[in-house]
Amino acid sequence: MLKVDNLTVFFENAIAINDLSLSINEGEIVGVFGSNSAGKTTLMNTIAGLTLHLKRREQRKGGTRITITGAVNFLGEEMNNTKPSYRVKKGIVLCRERHPVLKDCTVAENLRLGGYLRRDNITDTINFVYELFPNLKRLSGKKAGMLSGGEQEMLIIGMALVARPKLILMDEPLLGLSPLMQDEVVRAVKEIRKTGVTILLTEQYARPIMPIIDRGYIIENGTQIVSGTAEELINNPEVKSAYFGI
Amino acid sequence: MTKTGYRKERIDRGIKVRTDDIFAIGSFKEISYVAMPRFLVILLLIIFPLLSSVTGIYWQNVMLITCTIALLAISWDMLASVGLLSLGQAMFFGAGAYVTGYLNHNLGLSPLLSIPLATVLGALLCTLLLFPIMRLRGIYFGLITFAIPLLMTRIIEATKILGGTEGLSGLTPLPGLTLELYIIIAVTLICVFGFRRMFDTDYGLVLKAIRNNDRAVIAGGIDIQWYKTQAVFVAALPATFAGAFLTHHYQIVGMPAFALEYSILPLTAVIIGGARSFSGAMLGAFILVPISELLRAFSTLRIVVYCLVLLVFAIGLPEGIFNFVQRKYHQIERLVPMGEVKK
Repeated sequence: MLKVDNLTVFFENAIAINDLSLSINEGEIVGVFGSNSAGKTTLMNTIAGLTLHLKRREQRKGGTRITITGAVNFLGEEMNNTKPSYRVKKGIVLCRERHPVLKDCTVAENLRLGGYLRRDNITDTINFVYELFPNLKRLSGKKAGMLSGGEQEMLIIGMALVARPKLILMDEPLLGLSPLMQDEVVRAVKEIRKTGVTILLTEQYARPIMPIIDRGYIIENGTQIVSGTAEELINNPEVKSAYFGI
Repeated sequence: MTKTGYRKERIDRGIKVRTDDIFAIGSFKEISYVAMPRFLVILLLIIFPLLSSVTGIYWQNVMLITCTIALLAISWDMLASVGLLSLGQAMFFGAGAYVTGYLNHNLGLSPLLSIPLATVLGALLCTLLLFPIMRLRGIYFGLITFAIPLLMTRIIEATKILGGTEGLSGLTPLPGLTLELYIIIAVTLICVFGFRRMFDTDYGLVLKAIRNNDRAVIAGGIDIQWYKTQAVFVAALPATFAGAFLTHHYQIVGMPAFALEYSILPLTAVIIGGARSFSGAMLGAFILVPISELLRAFSTLRIVVYCLVLLVFAIGLPEGIFNFVQRKYHQIERLVPMGEVKK
């Protein structure tokens, strides 16, 4: 479904992603694990087109020079030079890290914005989100900025769902959440997968989401060092100590 | 896009050891690399007033106005550096102009006293006036600064204080154009280099931090209100000086001291030259004012040209001419193959 080939991203002279290739099949949950500055967020932003957007903006300002090479292929279509909005239309939706919701809008308004590009009725999908996260229904009239971190994360995932994606990119969905809240998000990810959506997620600490992923990649300094099924990763001794804390 | 391509790499040009404000200089080449751009500007500005026989009195006067607008632009840049967006530089200009007018006209002080006094008193006055709104940010602060000069002209018109619509005339003239030029050029250079220096110190760091994230600065235990007040006072100084100085040059002060022109021209100059470097503000004024003088023959068409220039720079070169040139001066670019940094 998604194929990333030899992706390389430079921020000025610093390399963020170094010759990274990965592929995701339809219906899978794939995890990308790595420590800080491994290139997880850059990878997600590049797939979603935000890095390209940033590159063009910086170019106009004469700011940081960003170089992107390699290919991002989604459902057989080259996505290298397409706008983020086009990629969303095609079905790639990103949940950015640290849940950047629209703080002054209500929860319901946030969800509506998530489905802005859709021409059909979005009520069903919004109801599905409310089923998935009953808390959001209760809070639907509240301003999103007033929600707790966990609730905002749910809202961000909900917003992505309303866009009815084929592929959801979740950038560190468990960041800063309590174990209880983490379970809630993990449960939701499982539910989302049942609806046929493919999921690519990144995380620093792999343990909570290990049970639900099909395959995983471990990246360091922008390069993939290990990849394999969930089982293979768990049994790899090096990976075990570094990313699972076992 | 293939792996075999090339990318552009930027490398800092220059000398062996360099931090933001310390240079370890070894050779004449390195000295000239650092000092030449500054030296050239100073040299040109020193020579210009001596060339009055070549340039004619008219362009000497244009130079005076240019420096005035440059001072206002530097003042705008200083305010912007603390995150305060001013749309009313005319307020500072008018304050300086009217204070010196009053001191000279009513109290009979000589320009030698009235200009420095007006600079400080005018800045104090503006700081007091802006004090209640200093906690506002962004456009709210801008709108109020925009309104104050308009308000001032109406107050002066209605109450007929400070000469009313006729203004205060017959002020003491300054000794001569060449000396005037040297004074204002010196002040402009002192402001540019002084402010640049200030922003390299810890004090400037606090001001920059307030612009970046004022809450983080509050969390660092710094009273940002007090620092903003200081910044407004310091920023007002060049502008009030410009007002006071030009008043004595014209020997009259009136309501045009609060004219919209003194608010818009500095802002445009900063957009052209580039913000946050002070030199950019100065360069912008030195480009904009002579151009607008050249366009004087086209009367109202000038505004169209202003707008076009503003549009072209805001879209095409948002960093401003100065920042662009500075970047090109300090960096070399070369093509490197993509594979050069492999694992």
